[in-house]
Amino acid sequence: MSEFFQTFLNLEVMRESSGLLLRGLWVTVQACLIVVPGGLLFGAGLSLAQTLAPAWGTRALSWGVDVVRAFPPLVLLVLVVHGLPFLGIEPPPLLGVGIALTINTSTYYGEILRAGILSIEPTQWEAARSTGLGTAATLRHVILPQGVRNVLPDLAGNTLEAVKLTSLASVVALPDLLRMARVAQGVHFNPSPLILAALLYLALLWPLVRLIRRLGGRAVLPA
Amino acid sequence: MNTVLELRGVGKAFAGVPALRDIHLAVGTSELVALIGPSGSGKSTLLRCCNRLTEPDAGEVVFEGSPVPAGGAELASVRRRMGMVFQAFNLYPHLNALENAALAPRRAAGLSQGEAEGAAREALERVGLGDRTAAMPDELSGGQQQRVAIARALALRPRILLLDEPTSALDPELVGSVLRVIRSLKEDGVAMLIATHEIAFAREAADRIAFLADGEILECGPPEEILDRPKSERLQHFLSRL
Ligand SMILES: Nc1ncnc2c1ncn2[C@@H]1O[C@H](COP(=O)(O)OP(=O)(O)OP(=O)(O)O)[C@@H](O)[C@H]1O
Ligand SMILES: [Mg+2]
Repeated sequence: MSEFFQTFLNLEVMRESSGLLLRGLWVTVQACLIVVPGGLLFGAGLSLAQTLAPAWGTRALSWGVDVVRAFPPLVLLVLVVHGLPFLGIEPPPLLGVGIALTINTSTYYGEILRAGILSIEPTQWEAARSTGLGTAATLRHVILPQGVRNVLPDLAGNTLEAVKLTSLASVVALPDLLRMARVAQGVHFNPSPLILAALLYLALLWPLVRLIRRLGGRAVLPA
Repeated sequence: MNTVLELRGVGKAFAGVPALRDIHLAVGTSELVALIGPSGSGKSTLLRCCNRLTEPDAGEVVFEGSPVPAGGAELASVRRRMGMVFQAFNLYPHLNALENAALAPRRAAGLSQGEAEGAAREALERVGLGDRTAAMPDELSGGQQQRVAIARALALRPRILLLDEPTSALDPELVGSVLRVIRSLKEDGVAMLIATHEIAFAREAADRIAFLADGEILECGPPEEILDRPKSERLQHFLSRL
Protein backbone atom coordinates (compact mmCIF):
# COMPACT_ATOMS: atom_id res chain seq x y z
CA MET A 1 0.00 0.00 0.00
CA SER A 2 2.76 2.44 0.91
CA GLU A 3 4.43 1.51 -2.33
CA PHE A 4 1.26 2.60 -4.13
CA PHE A 5 1.39 5.95 -2.34
CA GLN A 6 5.11 6.26 -3.06
CA THR A 7 4.40 5.74 -6.74
CA PHE A 8 1.18 7.60 -7.45
CA LEU A 9 0.64 10.00 -4.59
CA ASN A 10 4.20 10.92 -3.74
CA LEU A 11 3.69 14.20 -1.92
CA GLU A 12 7.38 15.02 -2.08
CA VAL A 13 7.36 14.75 -5.89
CA MET A 14 4.10 16.63 -6.11
CA ARG A 15 5.45 19.47 -4.03
CA GLU A 16 8.64 19.69 -6.07
CA SER A 17 6.78 19.68 -9.36
CA SER A 18 3.99 22.00 -8.28
CA GLY A 19 5.72 25.14 -9.60
CA LEU A 20 6.07 23.58 -13.03
CA LEU A 21 2.48 22.40 -13.00
CA LEU A 22 1.11 25.75 -11.95
CA ARG A 23 2.94 27.36 -14.85
CA GLY A 24 1.37 24.71 -17.06
CA LEU A 25 -2.03 25.44 -15.57
CA TRP A 26 -1.63 29.10 -16.40
CA VAL A 27 -0.86 28.26 -20.03
CA THR A 28 -3.94 26.03 -20.13
CA VAL A 29 -6.03 28.85 -18.68
CA GLN A 30 -4.63 31.25 -21.28
CA ALA A 31 -5.49 28.79 -24.05
CA CYS A 32 -9.03 28.60 -22.67
CA LEU A 33 -9.24 32.37 -22.57
CA ILE A 34 -8.56 32.40 -26.29
CA VAL A 35 -10.56 29.36 -27.35
CA VAL A 36 -13.78 29.86 -25.37
CA PRO A 37 -14.46 33.56 -26.14
CA GLY A 38 -13.07 33.12 -29.65
CA GLY A 39 -15.23 30.08 -30.28
CA LEU A 40 -18.32 31.83 -28.92
CA LEU A 41 -17.67 34.93 -31.00
CA PHE A 42 -17.08 33.11 -34.27
CA GLY A 43 -19.82 30.63 -33.45
CA ALA A 44 -22.24 33.51 -32.92
CA GLY A 45 -21.14 35.04 -36.23
CA LEU A 46 -21.61 31.70 -37.95
CA SER A 47 -25.09 31.16 -36.53
CA LEU A 48 -26.20 34.68 -37.44
CA ALA A 49 -24.78 34.33 -40.95
CA GLN A 50 -26.63 31.06 -41.37
CA THR A 51 -29.82 32.63 -40.07
CA LEU A 52 -29.66 35.70 -42.26
CA ALA A 53 -28.06 34.36 -45.44
CA PRO A 54 -30.16 33.37 -48.44
CA ALA A 55 -30.74 29.63 -48.77
CA TRP A 56 -27.64 28.98 -50.89
CA GLY A 57 -25.43 30.85 -48.44
CA THR A 58 -26.79 28.85 -45.53
CA ARG A 59 -26.09 25.66 -47.44
CA ALA A 60 -22.54 26.75 -48.27
CA LEU A 61 -21.88 27.58 -44.62
CA SER A 62 -23.28 24.23 -43.50
CA TRP A 63 -20.85 22.53 -45.88
CA GLY A 64 -17.96 24.52 -44.45
CA VAL A 65 -19.00 23.64 -40.93
CA ASP A 66 -19.22 19.95 -41.83
CA VAL A 67 -15.79 19.99 -43.45
CA VAL A 68 -14.22 21.50 -40.34
CA ARG A 69 -16.03 19.03 -38.12
CA ALA A 70 -14.84 16.10 -40.21
CA PHE A 71 -11.26 17.03 -39.27
CA PRO A 72 -10.14 15.37 -36.04
CA PRO A 73 -9.25 18.36 -33.85
CA LEU A 74 -5.73 16.98 -33.35
CA VAL A 75 -5.16 16.87 -37.10
CA LEU A 76 -6.41 20.44 -37.42
CA LEU A 77 -4.12 21.47 -34.58
CA VAL A 78 -1.02 19.85 -36.10
CA LEU A 79 -1.92 21.28 -39.50
CA VAL A 80 -2.18 24.84 -38.18
CA VAL A 81 0.82 24.73 -35.87
CA HIS A 82 3.17 22.81 -38.16
CA GLY A 83 1.64 23.78 -41.49
CA LEU A 84 1.38 27.56 -41.23
CA PRO A 85 5.17 28.03 -40.90
CA PHE A 86 5.47 26.69 -44.46
CA LEU A 87 3.41 29.70 -45.57
CA GLY A 88 5.85 31.92 -43.79
CA ILE A 89 3.37 32.52 -40.99
CA GLU A 90 4.72 31.50 -37.66
CA PRO A 91 2.32 32.41 -34.88
CA PRO A 92 3.50 31.95 -31.30
CA PRO A 93 2.54 28.41 -30.17
CA LEU A 94 -0.21 29.63 -27.87
CA LEU A 95 -1.81 31.62 -30.68
CA GLY A 96 -1.45 28.73 -33.14
CA VAL A 97 -3.20 26.43 -30.71
CA GLY A 98 -5.80 29.12 -30.06
CA ILE A 99 -6.54 29.50 -33.77
CA ALA A 100 -6.80 25.78 -34.47
CA LEU A 101 -9.04 25.00 -31.51
CA THR A 102 -11.16 28.12 -32.04
CA ILE A 103 -11.86 26.98 -35.60
CA ASN A 104 -12.89 23.59 -34.30
CA THR A 105 -15.03 24.65 -31.38
CA SER A 106 -16.70 27.61 -33.10
CA THR A 107 -18.47 25.18 -35.43
CA TYR A 108 -20.04 23.51 -32.39
CA TYR A 109 -20.91 26.77 -30.70
CA GLY A 110 -22.34 27.93 -34.02
CA GLU A 111 -24.61 24.92 -34.44
CA ILE A 112 -25.79 25.17 -30.84
CA LEU A 113 -26.64 28.87 -31.21
CA ARG A 114 -28.37 28.20 -34.50
CA ALA A 115 -30.49 25.53 -32.85
CA GLY A 116 -31.30 28.13 -30.19
CA ILE A 117 -32.39 30.67 -32.81
CA LEU A 118 -34.46 28.05 -34.63
CA SER A 119 -36.11 26.98 -31.37
CA ILE A 120 -38.03 30.26 -31.31
CA GLU A 121 -41.43 30.21 -32.97
CA PRO A 122 -41.80 32.20 -36.21
CA THR A 123 -44.73 33.95 -34.51
CA GLN A 124 -42.21 35.80 -32.34
CA TRP A 125 -40.56 37.15 -35.49
CA GLU A 126 -43.98 38.13 -36.83
CA ALA A 127 -44.99 39.91 -33.65
CA ALA A 128 -41.77 41.92 -33.74
CA ARG A 129 -42.07 42.67 -37.45
CA SER A 130 -45.65 43.82 -37.02
CA THR A 131 -44.40 46.55 -34.67
CA GLY A 132 -41.80 47.72 -37.18
CA LEU A 133 -38.78 46.15 -35.50
CA GLY A 134 -35.98 45.34 -37.94
CA THR A 135 -34.05 42.10 -38.17
CA ALA A 136 -31.15 43.18 -35.96
CA ALA A 137 -33.37 44.56 -33.20
CA THR A 138 -35.62 41.50 -33.37
CA LEU A 139 -32.65 39.16 -33.03
CA ARG A 140 -31.09 41.15 -30.24
CA HIS A 141 -34.16 41.81 -28.12
CA VAL A 142 -36.60 39.03 -28.96
CA ILE A 143 -34.97 35.97 -30.51
CA LEU A 144 -31.52 35.67 -28.93
CA PRO A 145 -32.50 36.24 -25.29
CA GLN A 146 -34.97 33.37 -25.55
CA GLY A 147 -32.93 31.21 -27.92
CA VAL A 148 -29.71 31.42 -25.92
CA ARG A 149 -31.58 30.56 -22.75
CA ASN A 150 -32.96 27.46 -24.46
CA VAL A 151 -29.47 26.18 -25.30
CA LEU A 152 -27.60 27.31 -22.19
CA PRO A 153 -26.89 23.74 -21.03
CA ASP A 154 -25.48 22.87 -24.45
CA LEU A 155 -23.33 26.00 -24.53
CA ALA A 156 -21.94 25.15 -21.10
CA GLY A 157 -21.38 21.56 -22.21
CA ASN A 158 -19.46 22.67 -25.26
CA THR A 159 -17.38 25.00 -23.10
CA LEU A 160 -16.46 21.98 -21.01
CA GLU A 161 -15.39 20.12 -24.13
CA ALA A 162 -13.42 23.13 -25.37
CA VAL A 163 -11.44 23.33 -22.14
CA LYS A 164 -10.68 19.63 -22.30
CA LEU A 165 -9.65 20.02 -25.92
CA THR A 166 -6.81 22.33 -24.92
CA SER A 167 -4.97 19.35 -23.44
CA LEU A 168 -4.30 18.33 -27.05
CA ALA A 169 -1.94 21.29 -27.20
CA SER A 170 0.65 19.30 -25.24
CA VAL A 171 1.19 17.27 -28.40
CA VAL A 172 2.44 20.29 -30.32
CA ALA A 173 4.81 21.20 -27.49
CA LEU A 174 2.75 23.95 -25.90
CA PRO A 175 3.86 23.95 -22.25
CA ASP A 176 0.32 23.49 -20.94
CA LEU A 177 -0.75 21.64 -17.81
CA LEU A 178 -0.60 18.16 -19.31
CA ARG A 179 2.72 18.83 -21.02
CA MET A 180 4.31 20.11 -17.81
CA ALA A 181 3.00 17.11 -15.93
CA ARG A 182 4.71 14.84 -18.47
CA VAL A 183 7.93 16.81 -18.08
CA ALA A 184 7.78 16.54 -14.29
CA GLN A 185 7.02 12.87 -14.59
CA GLY A 186 10.20 12.44 -16.64
CA VAL A 187 12.31 14.42 -14.23
CA HIS A 188 11.15 12.53 -11.15
CA PHE A 189 10.63 9.12 -12.75
CA ASN A 190 7.31 9.15 -11.00
CA PRO A 191 3.70 9.49 -12.24
CA SER A 192 2.52 11.54 -9.26
CA PRO A 193 2.65 14.81 -11.27
CA LEU A 194 0.09 13.29 -13.65
CA ILE A 195 -2.22 12.67 -10.72
CA LEU A 196 -1.69 16.23 -9.57
CA ALA A 197 -2.43 17.48 -13.10
CA ALA A 198 -5.63 15.42 -13.14
CA LEU A 199 -6.64 17.00 -9.84
CA LEU A 200 -5.93 20.46 -11.21
CA TYR A 201 -8.09 19.74 -14.30
CA LEU A 202 -10.79 18.53 -11.97
CA ALA A 203 -10.58 21.71 -9.92
CA LEU A 204 -10.76 23.76 -13.11
CA LEU A 205 -13.75 21.92 -14.55
CA TRP A 206 -15.70 20.92 -11.47
CA PRO A 207 -17.63 24.21 -11.14
CA LEU A 208 -18.57 24.02 -14.83
CA VAL A 209 -19.71 20.42 -14.55
CA ARG A 210 -21.85 21.27 -11.53
CA LEU A 211 -23.27 24.28 -13.34
CA ILE A 212 -24.28 22.09 -16.27
CA ARG A 213 -25.93 19.65 -13.89
CA ARG A 214 -27.85 22.56 -12.34
CA LEU A 215 -28.92 23.79 -15.76
CA GLY A 216 -30.36 20.35 -16.31
CA GLY A 217 -28.16 19.56 -19.26
CA ARG A 218 -26.19 16.52 -20.24
CA ALA A 219 -22.81 16.26 -18.55
CA VAL A 220 -21.25 15.08 -21.80
CA LEU A 221 -22.10 16.19 -25.31
CA PRO A 222 -22.18 13.49 -27.94
CA ALA A 223 -19.02 13.90 -29.99
CA MET B 1 -64.96 60.31 -43.75
CA ASN B 2 -61.31 59.88 -44.55
CA THR B 3 -59.99 56.49 -45.55
CA VAL B 4 -57.13 55.10 -43.46
CA LEU B 5 -56.65 51.80 -45.18
CA GLU B 6 -57.80 50.58 -48.55
CA LEU B 7 -57.33 47.26 -50.31
CA ARG B 8 -57.58 47.53 -54.07
CA GLY B 9 -57.95 44.26 -55.89
CA VAL B 10 -55.76 42.34 -53.46
CA GLY B 11 -55.17 38.71 -54.33
CA LYS B 12 -53.08 35.94 -52.85
CA ALA B 13 -52.54 32.30 -53.71
CA PHE B 14 -50.65 29.66 -51.75
CA ALA B 15 -48.98 27.10 -54.01
CA GLY B 16 -51.43 27.96 -56.78
CA VAL B 17 -54.49 27.70 -54.51
CA PRO B 18 -56.19 31.08 -54.23
CA ALA B 19 -56.72 32.28 -50.66
CA LEU B 20 -57.83 35.82 -51.55
CA ARG B 21 -59.39 37.03 -54.77
CA ASP B 22 -59.78 40.60 -55.90
CA ILE B 23 -60.43 42.08 -52.46
CA HIS B 24 -61.73 45.66 -52.39
CA LEU B 25 -62.24 47.06 -48.93
CA ALA B 26 -61.77 50.45 -47.28
CA VAL B 27 -61.61 51.34 -43.60
CA GLY B 28 -62.29 54.94 -42.60
CA THR B 29 -60.87 56.95 -39.72
CA SER B 30 -62.44 55.74 -36.48
CA GLU B 31 -64.39 53.08 -38.33
CA LEU B 32 -64.65 49.50 -37.09
CA VAL B 33 -64.98 46.92 -39.84
CA ALA B 34 -65.57 43.30 -38.88
CA LEU B 35 -64.53 40.40 -41.10
CA ILE B 36 -66.64 37.31 -40.71
CA GLY B 37 -66.60 34.08 -42.62
CA PRO B 38 -66.00 30.35 -42.27
CA SER B 39 -62.66 28.90 -41.29
CA GLY B 40 -60.23 29.04 -44.21
CA SER B 41 -62.14 31.82 -45.97
CA GLY B 42 -59.07 34.08 -45.89
CA LYS B 43 -59.66 36.43 -42.94
CA SER B 44 -56.15 36.04 -41.54
CA THR B 45 -54.58 36.25 -44.95
CA LEU B 46 -56.44 39.49 -45.66
CA LEU B 47 -55.23 41.08 -42.43
CA ARG B 48 -51.66 39.89 -42.98
CA CYS B 49 -51.61 41.29 -46.50
CA CYS B 50 -52.32 44.76 -45.05
CA ASN B 51 -48.92 45.05 -43.36
CA ARG B 52 -47.22 42.62 -45.71
CA LEU B 53 -46.52 39.92 -43.18
CA THR B 54 -47.96 37.95 -46.06
CA GLU B 55 -46.93 39.32 -49.42
CA PRO B 56 -49.99 39.81 -51.65
CA ASP B 57 -49.44 38.76 -55.24
CA ALA B 58 -52.01 41.04 -56.82
CA GLY B 59 -53.53 44.45 -56.20
CA GLU B 60 -52.35 47.05 -53.79
CA VAL B 61 -52.85 48.16 -50.22
CA VAL B 62 -53.05 51.90 -49.66
CA PHE B 63 -52.40 53.28 -46.19
CA GLU B 64 -52.99 56.95 -45.44
CA GLY B 65 -53.01 57.73 -49.13
CA SER B 66 -49.83 55.89 -50.21
CA PRO B 67 -49.19 52.32 -51.24
CA VAL B 68 -47.63 50.22 -48.45
CA PRO B 69 -43.91 50.12 -49.30
CA ALA B 70 -42.37 46.79 -50.24
CA GLY B 71 -39.70 46.71 -47.56
CA GLY B 72 -37.02 48.43 -45.61
CA ALA B 73 -37.40 51.31 -43.19
CA GLU B 74 -40.45 52.66 -45.06
CA LEU B 75 -42.37 49.42 -44.54
CA ALA B 76 -41.25 49.30 -40.89
CA SER B 77 -42.57 52.79 -40.40
CA VAL B 78 -45.95 51.86 -41.89
CA ARG B 79 -46.09 48.75 -39.72
CA ARG B 80 -45.62 50.86 -36.60
CA ARG B 81 -48.68 52.88 -37.51
CA MET B 82 -50.70 49.73 -38.30
CA GLY B 83 -50.93 47.80 -35.05
CA MET B 84 -51.53 44.06 -35.23
CA VAL B 85 -53.07 41.79 -32.63
CA PHE B 86 -52.80 38.03 -33.04
CA GLN B 87 -55.13 35.25 -32.05
CA ALA B 88 -52.41 33.62 -29.92
CA PHE B 89 -51.21 36.95 -28.44
CA ASN B 90 -47.56 36.28 -29.40
CA LEU B 91 -46.24 38.23 -26.44
CA TYR B 92 -42.51 38.14 -25.74
CA PRO B 93 -42.40 35.62 -22.89
CA HIS B 94 -39.06 36.83 -21.51
CA LEU B 95 -40.24 40.43 -21.07
CA ASN B 96 -42.74 41.81 -18.58
CA ALA B 97 -45.89 43.66 -19.65
CA LEU B 98 -44.23 47.07 -19.67
CA GLU B 99 -41.18 45.83 -21.58
CA ASN B 100 -43.42 44.07 -24.10
CA ALA B 101 -45.17 47.34 -24.83
CA ALA B 102 -42.07 49.55 -24.63
CA LEU B 103 -39.79 47.51 -26.92
CA ALA B 104 -40.99 48.83 -30.27
CA PRO B 105 -41.41 52.47 -29.18
CA ARG B 106 -37.80 52.32 -27.98
CA ARG B 107 -36.15 50.16 -30.67
CA ALA B 108 -38.33 50.77 -33.71
CA ALA B 109 -39.68 54.28 -33.19
CA GLY B 110 -36.47 55.48 -31.55
CA LEU B 111 -38.02 57.09 -28.47
CA SER B 112 -35.87 57.50 -25.38
CA GLN B 113 -36.21 54.81 -22.72
CA GLY B 114 -38.26 57.18 -20.58
CA GLU B 115 -40.60 58.20 -23.41
CA ALA B 116 -41.00 54.58 -24.52
CA GLU B 117 -41.92 53.46 -21.03
CA GLY B 118 -44.29 56.38 -20.72
CA ALA B 119 -46.06 55.38 -23.92
CA ALA B 120 -46.13 51.75 -22.79
CA ARG B 121 -47.54 52.64 -19.36
CA GLU B 122 -50.21 54.83 -20.92
CA ALA B 123 -51.18 52.02 -23.31
CA LEU B 124 -51.37 49.49 -20.48
CA GLU B 125 -53.58 51.86 -18.52
CA ARG B 126 -55.83 52.17 -21.52
CA VAL B 127 -56.42 48.41 -21.55
CA GLY B 128 -56.99 48.35 -17.80
CA LEU B 129 -53.62 46.87 -16.83
CA GLY B 130 -51.92 49.91 -15.34
CA ASP B 131 -51.36 47.93 -12.15
CA ARG B 132 -49.79 44.88 -13.85
CA THR B 133 -46.88 46.53 -15.64
CA ALA B 134 -44.30 44.30 -13.91
CA ALA B 135 -46.12 41.03 -14.56
CA MET B 136 -44.56 38.44 -16.85
CA PRO B 137 -46.86 37.07 -19.57
CA ASP B 138 -47.11 33.66 -17.91
CA GLU B 139 -48.35 35.31 -14.73
CA LEU B 140 -51.33 36.79 -16.57
CA SER B 141 -54.63 35.26 -17.64
CA GLY B 142 -55.31 34.81 -21.34
CA GLY B 143 -57.54 37.85 -21.36
CA GLN B 144 -54.89 39.96 -19.66
CA GLN B 145 -52.23 38.68 -22.06
CA GLN B 146 -54.35 39.68 -25.03
CA ARG B 147 -54.84 43.12 -23.51
CA VAL B 148 -51.06 43.45 -23.12
CA ALA B 149 -50.78 42.52 -26.79
CA ILE B 150 -53.29 45.27 -27.64
CA ALA B 151 -51.28 47.68 -25.49
CA ARG B 152 -48.11 46.66 -27.33
CA ALA B 153 -49.75 47.77 -30.56
CA LEU B 154 -51.31 50.90 -29.01
CA ALA B 155 -48.03 52.10 -27.51
CA LEU B 156 -46.94 53.01 -31.05
CA ARG B 157 -50.03 55.22 -31.45
CA PRO B 158 -51.23 53.43 -34.59
CA ARG B 159 -53.74 54.86 -37.04
CA ILE B 160 -55.44 51.48 -37.35
CA LEU B 161 -55.48 48.19 -35.50
CA LEU B 162 -55.64 44.87 -37.32
CA LEU B 163 -57.04 42.24 -34.98
CA ASP B 164 -57.09 38.58 -35.97
CA GLU B 165 -59.71 36.74 -33.90
CA PRO B 166 -58.46 38.38 -30.71
CA THR B 167 -60.83 36.41 -28.47
CA SER B 168 -60.81 32.98 -30.15
CA ALA B 169 -58.07 31.57 -27.91
CA LEU B 170 -59.76 32.73 -24.72
CA ASP B 171 -61.91 30.95 -22.17
CA PRO B 172 -65.51 32.21 -22.54
CA GLU B 173 -65.43 34.09 -19.22
CA LEU B 174 -62.39 36.11 -20.37
CA VAL B 175 -63.77 37.15 -23.77
CA GLY B 176 -65.77 40.02 -22.29
CA SER B 177 -62.77 41.87 -20.88
CA VAL B 178 -61.04 41.98 -24.25
CA LEU B 179 -64.18 43.00 -26.13
CA ARG B 180 -64.74 45.78 -23.59
CA VAL B 181 -61.28 47.15 -24.38
CA ILE B 182 -61.98 47.00 -28.11
CA ARG B 183 -65.26 48.84 -27.61
CA SER B 184 -63.57 51.56 -25.58
CA LEU B 185 -60.94 51.98 -28.31
CA LYS B 186 -63.74 52.42 -30.80
CA GLU B 187 -65.22 55.13 -28.63
CA ASP B 188 -61.80 56.81 -28.67
CA GLY B 189 -61.94 56.76 -32.45
CA VAL B 190 -59.30 54.12 -33.21
CA ALA B 191 -59.89 52.59 -36.65
CA MET B 192 -60.05 48.81 -36.57
CA LEU B 193 -60.25 45.90 -38.95
CA ILE B 194 -61.12 42.83 -36.96
CA ALA B 195 -61.61 39.21 -37.92
CA THR B 196 -64.04 37.67 -35.49
CA HIS B 197 -66.42 34.84 -34.78
CA GLU B 198 -68.26 36.94 -32.17
CA ILE B 199 -71.30 37.79 -34.27
CA ALA B 200 -73.14 39.49 -31.40
CA PHE B 201 -70.14 41.74 -30.85
CA ALA B 202 -69.89 42.50 -34.56
CA ARG B 203 -73.56 43.42 -34.69
CA GLU B 204 -73.31 45.85 -31.83
CA ALA B 205 -69.82 47.34 -32.31
CA ALA B 206 -69.06 47.21 -36.04
CA ASP B 207 -69.87 50.03 -38.43
CA ARG B 208 -69.68 47.57 -41.28
CA ILE B 209 -69.33 43.84 -41.64
CA ALA B 210 -67.64 42.12 -44.57
CA PHE B 211 -68.49 38.48 -45.22
CA LEU B 212 -65.67 36.46 -46.69
CA ALA B 213 -66.05 33.07 -48.35
CA ASP B 214 -63.44 31.22 -50.38
CA GLY B 215 -61.23 34.28 -50.47
CA GLU B 216 -63.87 36.65 -51.77
CA ILE B 217 -65.89 39.37 -50.10
CA LEU B 218 -69.42 38.26 -50.97
CA GLU B 219 -71.22 40.95 -49.01
CA CYS B 220 -70.25 44.08 -47.16
CA GLY B 221 -72.45 46.57 -45.35
CA PRO B 222 -73.94 47.73 -42.05
CA PRO B 223 -74.54 44.96 -39.47
CA GLU B 224 -78.34 44.90 -39.82
CA GLU B 225 -78.09 44.52 -43.56
CA ILE B 226 -75.51 41.72 -43.41
CA LEU B 227 -76.87 39.83 -40.43
CA ASP B 228 -80.63 40.33 -40.83
CA ARG B 229 -81.03 40.53 -44.58
CA PRO B 230 -78.29 38.33 -46.04
CA LYS B 231 -78.53 38.17 -49.84
CA SER B 232 -76.18 35.38 -50.81
CA GLU B 233 -76.93 31.77 -50.07
CA ARG B 234 -73.44 31.34 -48.61
CA LEU B 235 -74.05 34.01 -45.99
CA GLN B 236 -77.54 32.73 -45.19
CA HIS B 237 -76.05 29.28 -44.71
CA PHE B 238 -73.17 30.66 -42.61
CA LEU B 239 -75.50 32.59 -40.33
CA SER B 240 -77.95 29.71 -39.95
CA ARG B 241 -75.19 27.51 -38.54
CA LEU B 242 -74.16 29.87 -35.77
N1 LIG C 1 -48.81 30.11 -45.03
C1 LIG C 1 -49.72 29.42 -45.72
N2 LIG C 1 -49.34 28.45 -46.57
C2 LIG C 1 -50.25 27.77 -47.29
N3 LIG C 1 -51.56 27.98 -47.23
C3 LIG C 1 -52.02 28.93 -46.42
C4 LIG C 1 -51.12 29.70 -45.61
N4 LIG C 1 -51.86 30.57 -44.90
C5 LIG C 1 -53.15 30.36 -45.23
N5 LIG C 1 -53.25 29.37 -46.15
C6 LIG C 1 -54.51 28.90 -46.77
O1 LIG C 1 -55.22 30.02 -47.20
C7 LIG C 1 -56.62 29.86 -46.93
C8 LIG C 1 -57.10 31.00 -46.08
O2 LIG C 1 -56.53 30.89 -44.78
P1 LIG C 1 -56.75 31.91 -43.61
O3 LIG C 1 -55.89 31.48 -42.49
O4 LIG C 1 -56.58 33.27 -44.14
O5 LIG C 1 -58.28 31.67 -43.25
P2 LIG C 1 -59.12 32.23 -42.03
O6 LIG C 1 -60.36 32.78 -42.58
O7 LIG C 1 -58.27 33.11 -41.19
O8 LIG C 1 -59.46 30.89 -41.21
P3 LIG C 1 -59.65 30.68 -39.64
O9 LIG C 1 -61.02 31.16 -39.30
O10 LIG C 1 -59.53 29.20 -39.47
O11 LIG C 1 -58.56 31.45 -38.95
C9 LIG C 1 -56.77 28.52 -46.28
O12 LIG C 1 -57.14 27.59 -47.27
C10 LIG C 1 -55.41 28.20 -45.78
O13 LIG C 1 -55.17 26.81 -45.78
MG1 LIG D 1 -57.49 32.98 -39.26
